[in-house]
Amino acid sequence: MTDKTTATDEEIAEVRALLAEARLPASEAEIRTLAMTHRAQREAVHDLYTAQAARYVDPALRFRAHARIIDWWSTTV
Amino acid sequence: MTSSPRTLTEAAAALRAGETTSVALTEAALAAADAHDEQTGTYLARFDDYALASAHAADTDFGNGVDRGPLQGIPFGVKDIIAMAEGPTTAQSLVLDRTWGAGRDAPVVARLKTAGAVITGKTSTMEFAVGMPDDSKPFPIPRNPWDTDTWPGGSSSGTGSGVAAGLFFAGLGTDTGGSIRIPAAFCGVTGLMPTFGRVPKSGCVPLGYSLDHIGPLARSASDCAAVLATIAGHHPSDPDSVSAPFRVPEDLGKADLAGLRVGVVRDEHHFPDNGDPALLDTFSAAVAVLAELGATVVEVRLPYWSQMCTANMLTLACEALAYHRSDATERWTDFFAGTRAILAQGAMVSGADYVQAQRMRRVAQDAIDRMFDDVDVIACPTASITAPPVRDYLGERGSTGVLSLFASVHTGYWDCLGNPVLAMPMGFGANGLPLSVQLAGRAFTEATILRTADAFQQVTDWHLATPPLIAAATATTAAA
Repeated sequence: MTDKTTATDEEIAEVRALLAEARLPASEAEIRTLAMTHRAQREAVHDLYTAQAARYVDPALRFRAHARIIDWWSTTV
Repeated sequence: MTSSPRTLTEAAAALRAGETTSVALTEAALAAADAHDEQTGTYLARFDDYALASAHAADTDFGNGVDRGPLQGIPFGVKDIIAMAEGPTTAQSLVLDRTWGAGRDAPVVARLKTAGAVITGKTSTMEFAVGMPDDSKPFPIPRNPWDTDTWPGGSSSGTGSGVAAGLFFAGLGTDTGGSIRIPAAFCGVTGLMPTFGRVPKSGCVPLGYSLDHIGPLARSASDCAAVLATIAGHHPSDPDSVSAPFRVPEDLGKADLAGLRVGVVRDEHHFPDNGDPALLDTFSAAVAVLAELGATVVEVRLPYWSQMCTANMLTLACEALAYHRSDATERWTDFFAGTRAILAQGAMVSGADYVQAQRMRRVAQDAIDRMFDDVDVIACPTASITAPPVRDYLGERGSTGVLSLFASVHTGYWDCLGNPVLAMPMGFGANGLPLSVQLAGRAFTEATILRTADAFQQVTDWHLATPPLIAAATATTAAA
């Protein structure tokens, strides 16, 4: 990841919009700090899509059909 | 044994030999806390009365011939994101609802109590097991007993510093991106991240549901084995936990690694130009010890390194934001600066990105499992630096510090894969602070990496080194 000391207006606007969409009330200083690394992080995320080995692979996600939630304090094992 | 026990294993033997009592060990641990906790910021809550009562009960059991296993009567710390009935869980945060888990024991804590462990208190953490210290918040700043101007690592900061400072023999930490192994490395102790699913994580405030591991920090690999044997095993409340009980390997204590195949990582990620000047020589010397013990050493390169580092942070941030978003929208500035930086990362990727990260995790899991067809253990540095100055992370500096840290610590890759990894001291950096080596194994082969680490520790004593602060206090006490 390449760290920068400044971010472009476009990068700052993009980060501000993303955080607003998630309703995270970050300060302007936080937005500017996050924007400095945002482009490099996006490139790293894009790289996740380039591995041919992942083209037909199931994700490490599994939905379980068991309906009941077992509280951790209700069972001693 | 005539001197004070240095490890959990030694203490357990001394208790059974009648050379000490649990009350004596506990009183010594509480005295060490009185002497050092203000400097190290180890505890968020101490349970002195409860601990002494537990110690008396352990001694009574010993007197009646009741032996609940190696943790019986042993002073023990629990990271304060894990519920324990004796006090509220804070996660070192202003935000966590103090009624969460109140009056209840997490399954791992219940197992420790059943085993007779003497839990002395709840230890400091980075907020919600993520982020960095924040001196604008009303919590202790965790400091490293090796140099109190430096950070003990996190997020299991207090458990690491407490073991190093002799406040307890072992404790629980959690590891989502390195939070057991980083404090183990910076504090010069041994830490074990078990295989994902080996230990139930329910009753622990979640950080990353698919990445969280609970495991021990202690002086030695043998100590970690004893703790793992106590806390491992399926619990129905954690759908990720598996029925894979762990037993302490019978061949611990043997300085013999004949037949073991060790893959050694020497790539540019683990040995960057800005790493500690002593790192390469120290690591090479540790590998040489493994070879002298009979292991066969081959060079390996970890597959999908950069992708797994990205996937770790992406997954952690997304899963953390899902848990915290309701609070974050209402109480943003109550969170530590470093925590806010991580939560924000979760808002800056898409749902598809998250799923793709999980697809890449499958690919990398397959690749590393195939590598373990050719080697039994993979060795690599835990971090390329020693403990950094704590001032570099305080307050708003935590927001950049938490993101830059992972250029120097090499732990998150393994959280993504779920393999068991042990971190142990291997020497000292150019500044005299501890350096650490990781030993990773195939899923559910903790016995192999523990046996490897134990053999290393049979012929070296890095894991027994005492921070100057503690050694000086011990010498003063002895002189008086």
